[in-house]
Amino acid sequence: MMDFSQLKDALASRSFDLVAEICDELMLQVASRGINFQQEWPYAIHLLGHIYINDLNSARFLWKSIPDGIKESRQEVVAAWKIGQCLWNRDFAGVYRAISAFEWSQEALDLVNAFRESYTKRTFELLVSAYSTINVTDAALFLGMSEDDAINYAVQHGWRLDSAAGMLEVVKPKVISEQKLDSSKLQRLTEYVFHLEH
Amino acid sequence: MEADDDAAFFTMSDEAMILNGVDELEGQQLPTSHGGKAAMRGEQMDVEAYAALYTGRTKVSRLIFIADQCGNQSMQLEALRMAHDEIKKGEDSHLYRLVEQKIDGRLGPKYAFDQTWVDSIERRAEQRKEKLENELNGYKTNLIKESIRMGYNDLGDFYYAHSQLGDAFKNYVRTRDYCTTSKHIIQMCLNVILVSIELGQFMHVSNYVSKAEQTPDSLDPITVAKLRCAAGLAHLEGRRYKLAARKFLETGFELSSNYMEVIAPQDVATYGGLCALASFDRMELKNKVIDNINFRNFLELVPEVRELINDFYASRYASCLDYLENLKPNLLLDIHLHEHVETLYDEIRHKAIIQYTHPFISVDLPTMASAFKTSVTGLQKELEALITENQIQARIDSHNKILYARHADQRNTTFQRVLQTGIEFEKEVRSMLLRSNLIKHEHNQRASRKQ
Amino acid sequence: METVEALVAHIQGLSGNPDEVSHLHSLLKQSEETLRLQVSRLAPFIKELDPAIHSLGYLYLLDAYSSGPISGEHISSFHGYFVGFINSCSIEQIRLVSEKFISLCKRYKDQVIQQHVPIQAVVPLRTAIRKIQSSSEQLTSLHPDFILVCLLSKYYKAAISILDDDVFEIDQPKDFFLYCYYGGMIYIGLKQFPKALECLHNVVTAPMSAINSIAVEAYKKYVLVSLTHLGQISTFPKYTSSTAQRNLRNFAQPYVDLANCYSNGKFSELEEFIQANLEKFQADNNLGLVKQVLSSLYKRNIQRLTQTYLTLSLQDIADTVQLSTSKDAELRVLQMIQDGDIFASINQKDGMVSFHEDPEQYKTCKMIEHVDSSIQRMMALSKKLTEIEEHISCDPAYLSKIGRERPRFDFDDFDSVPHKFLNGGEGNGFLLLDSSAQF
Repeated sequence: MMDFSQLKDALASRSFDLVAEICDELMLQVASRGINFQQEWPYAIHLLGHIYINDLNSARFLWKSIPDGIKESRQEVVAAWKIGQCLWNRDFAGVYRAISAFEWSQEALDLVNAFRESYTKRTFELLVSAYSTINVTDAALFLGMSEDDAINYAVQHGWRLDSAAGMLEVVKPKVISEQKLDSSKLQRLTEYVFHLEH
Repeated sequence: MEADDDAAFFTMSDEAMILNGVDELEGQQLPTSHGGKAAMRGEQMDVEAYAALYTGRTKVSRLIFIADQCGNQSMQLEALRMAHDEIKKGEDSHLYRLVEQKIDGRLGPKYAFDQTWVDSIERRAEQRKEKLENELNGYKTNLIKESIRMGYNDLGDFYYAHSQLGDAFKNYVRTRDYCTTSKHIIQMCLNVILVSIELGQFMHVSNYVSKAEQTPDSLDPITVAKLRCAAGLAHLEGRRYKLAARKFLETGFELSSNYMEVIAPQDVATYGGLCALASFDRMELKNKVIDNINFRNFLELVPEVRELINDFYASRYASCLDYLENLKPNLLLDIHLHEHVETLYDEIRHKAIIQYTHPFISVDLPTMASAFKTSVTGLQKELEALITENQIQARIDSHNKILYARHADQRNTTFQRVLQTGIEFEKEVRSMLLRSNLIKHEHNQRASRKQ
Repeated sequence: METVEALVAHIQGLSGNPDEVSHLHSLLKQSEETLRLQVSRLAPFIKELDPAIHSLGYLYLLDAYSSGPISGEHISSFHGYFVGFINSCSIEQIRLVSEKFISLCKRYKDQVIQQHVPIQAVVPLRTAIRKIQSSSEQLTSLHPDFILVCLLSKYYKAAISILDDDVFEIDQPKDFFLYCYYGGMIYIGLKQFPKALECLHNVVTAPMSAINSIAVEAYKKYVLVSLTHLGQISTFPKYTSSTAQRNLRNFAQPYVDLANCYSNGKFSELEEFIQANLEKFQADNNLGLVKQVLSSLYKRNIQRLTQTYLTLSLQDIADTVQLSTSKDAELRVLQMIQDGDIFASINQKDGMVSFHEDPEQYKTCKMIEHVDSSIQRMMALSKKLTEIEEHISCDPAYLSKIGRERPRFDFDDFDSVPHKFLNGGEGNGFLLLDSSAQF
C-alpha cells in the first residue's frame, strides 16, 4: 500500500538531504488516502532525515506526532530523537554520545554516520568562527574525538598547538568570495533609474 | 557668623537649647534628612546672608524650606527664628502659626506662641477685609472702572499678605477686565505671576509672562528682566532646562535687587549657569554663557559657578566636579533648584564625560577615572550607559582598560539602512493593501445590508 | 420532481460544454430537496459518476450524501469519494458553486478533526485551495481550515507553501483574522519570528469595530514574539483601529506588564514576574513562548554588551547578565555566534570575549543579487500600489463619499457667518448631509 521506492533510492544513492522531504510528502499523501500508516512508518529514518538537514523544528514536531505505543516499542525511534534533543539543547558532546550509545539498524547506520561526519565538520567551522583560543579537552568534546585526534584534526586545518598550556590557537582561513560584476547589472541599474524618474 | 549664633543661643539660657545646640551640631540629624550629610562636607550655608537677599513671602518660604530640609538642628532653629522675626513684621497669622508649630517651643519664651498678637492682627484683618469689600461694592455700583480695578487689586494684596493665595490669585486676575493701560496690564501680570510662583502653578506663570510681553508699549528693562526670570523659573520647574537656561541668560543685569520678592541675582547666575552646563553644547556654552557680557555680571556674584563653568569649558573636570560637590549641599536647600539638583548634576557629568572622550581615538580608562574622581569599574559602568544611549560612539576594551572611538563605516551603514528600509516598506505596503481590502469589504457589507 | 436516476442521467448528459453545465446547474439547484430526501440511496449513484468530467453533479451528490449524519462505515467511503473528487474535479465546474464546494470541504475537515486524524486533510485541503482560488492572492475560507489542520497534525512545514503567498483579496474578515492568527502560530513553531510578527501584526492592526477574541489572543502572542525577537513592543501604529488601541492592552494586562518588566533588563526580576503569573500564561497556552521571552533576555543583554565593549571577560558577562558561571556565559555566547546574533571570538586562554563588527562588506556578488532582488520586489509592489490607487480613485462609491463629505470640510469657511444663520435652514441641510455620508 505504501510505496517507499523513492526513499530507498535516496538512501541507496546517499542523497540524505532528500530523505526528509520524501518522507514528509509521502506521509501526507498516504494519510490523505485514509491509510493507517503509523505502525509501518519508518519514523527513525524520517527523524534522522530532518536531523541530517538540521531541521530541528520539523524533527521535534514529528516526534510529538508519533503515537506513544510506537515510542515505547521502537527503540531506534527514541535513539534518533535523543540526537535531536541534544542538538536542540546544544549539547555538543551529548550528540556524539547519543550516536554511539545505540546499535543502529543497517538502514539507519549510513544516515547516522553521514550525519556524524557532517556534524563534526559543521562544529569545527563553528569553532573557527567562535574561538580564538580553546583548550584541547573542550575541542575534543566539540568534535567527538579523542584529544590526540582532535589535535591532529585541528593542526591539519592550520591551527597551532600550545602544548604547555594545553591550548589550541585558532587560525581563521581567508575566505575569498566573488566580487566581480557583469555588465547585465549595469543594464539593471539603468532600468532602476528609469523607474525612479517615471 | 556661627560664633554669633552660639552667643545668641547661650544667652537664652535654655538648658535644652544648650544640649541641642552647637556642641552637638555635627551629630544632630533628623532621620528624614538628606541634605544634612552633604551639608557637613561643604561649607555650611550662611542662612542670614542668604535670607538677606529676599523680602516678603518668599523670604519666609525659603527659610521654612531650609528648616525642613537641612537636617541640622542648629541651622533649622536659626532659619525658623529668622522666619519668625520676618513674619512678626507683617500680619500673616497663618504663617505665624505654621512657624510656631515648627519651632515647638525650642527657641525659648521670646519665641513662644503669642496669642494676643494673633488675636489683634486677625481682628484687624477682619475689619480691613470688610472695608475693602465694601469699598469695592461701592465702586461696582458706580461703575468706576479704575476704582474697581484698584479695589480688586487691594483685595488681592490683602489676601496675599494673609496667605490666602487662591483668593489673591482670583482677585488679581479679576483686575484684568478693568485694565485700561499697558501699565495696568503689566501690574496685573506681575501680581498674578508672583502669586502663581508661591502657589507652584507654573503654567500660569508662563501664561502671564507671555501676556505681559504681548503688551503693545515697550517695557522698561527692569520689568523685562523680571519676566525673563519668571519664565526661567517656569521652564526650570517643567524640567525644560535648555529653555530655562536661555531665559536666565537673557535676564538683564538691571534686575539687581528689584525682584527680591521672587529671586536674587545670585540665583540667576546659579540657575542659569547650571542649566546651561547641563543642556548646552560646547559652542552654545562659549557663545551664550562665557562670552555673554551681560551674564558675566551675574556670574561675578557667585564666583564658584563662574569658575566651574570655566573649568568645564577648559576641560578641567576634576576641579569642576570639586566646585559642584561643594555647592551641592546649599543648592539642595534652594526652594526652586532642590528637586533638579540630581538631574542637572547627572547631565553635567555626562556632558563632561562625553566631552572628555570626544577628541580621542583611544582613552586610557585609569587616567580618565582619576579625572572624574571615580574607580575604573565605576567609570566603565557610566561609559556603558552612555554608549548604550548612543551618546558616545566608542567601545570599551575591558581587557586592556582602554576606550576606543568607533568610526562607523558609512558605506556599510548605508547598505544596512537601505535593506532595512526595504524590508519595512514591503511589510508596510503589504499590510496596507490588506487593510484597504478589509475596509472595502466592510463597506460593501454595510452597503448591501442597507439595501 | 425528478428522480435521482433522471438527475444522474442529466449529469452524465450535460457535463460536456459550459452551456450544458450552466443548464445542468439550474436543474441541480431545483433538485436539492430530492437529493436530500434520497440520501440513503445516493452511494451507488456517486460511483457511477466520474469526478473529473461530472464535477458539478458529483459535488451536488457528495454534498447531499454528507449533509446529514454519516454512519461509521460510510465515513471512510465519503472520505474516499471526497479525496478522489478534490484531486480530479474540474476547476471550471466547481468555481460555479464555490460556496457549496467550500462548505463540503469544511464538512470533511470537521469530520477529520473529530476523528483525530487531521493529517488526512492536509493534502486535500491544499489541493482544494489551489483549485478554488482565482489567484494565489485570494484568501479563501479554506485558508484558515488548512492552516488549522497543519497545526493540529503538527505538520507545520506543510503550511508554508500556502502561507508564503502574499494574499490581498479577502472574502471574509473573519477568515483573515483566523488565517493570520493560525499563520502566526505556524511561524512561531518554526521559529520564523519576523513572519510570525507580520501575521499577528495584521490581526492586531486590522480594522475592527468591536473587539474580538482572536485579536486579543493574537495581541498576547504578538507581545511575546515581539519581545523575543525585537526585545521590545512598539506602540500601535496610527492606522490601528481605535477599538484595538483602547482595549487590547486591558485584555492582555499580564503581557503588557511582562513587557515593562522585560524593558528593565533584569533577569531575576523577569523570572520572578513570570513565576508570579505562571497560571495566567499557562491558561492562555503561552507558557512556552513566555519561557522563550525569558531566555531571550540573556541574548538581549549580551547583545547590548557587544555594542559597548570590544573585549569583556566571560566572568563580567556572567555577572552582568546574571548567569551563574563563566562557562554558562561562554555557552550563551557560542550559541549566539552560531545563530548569527553576534560576531565575536572567545579566548579561553584569557577567559575573554572579543566582539567584532558585522563582517559583511556588501561587496560580494551574492549580496548584490540580494539587493537586486529586493529592488525588483519593491518595484513590483509599488507598481501594484499605483494600480490600486488609480482603481480606488475611479471607484464611484469612493468618489461619492469624498464628494458628499466636502461640505463638512468647507464648514470652517463659514465661520465668519453668524451662527444663528447657520442654525437655520442651512444647518439642517448640513446635518442631513452629514448623516448620509456615513455608510
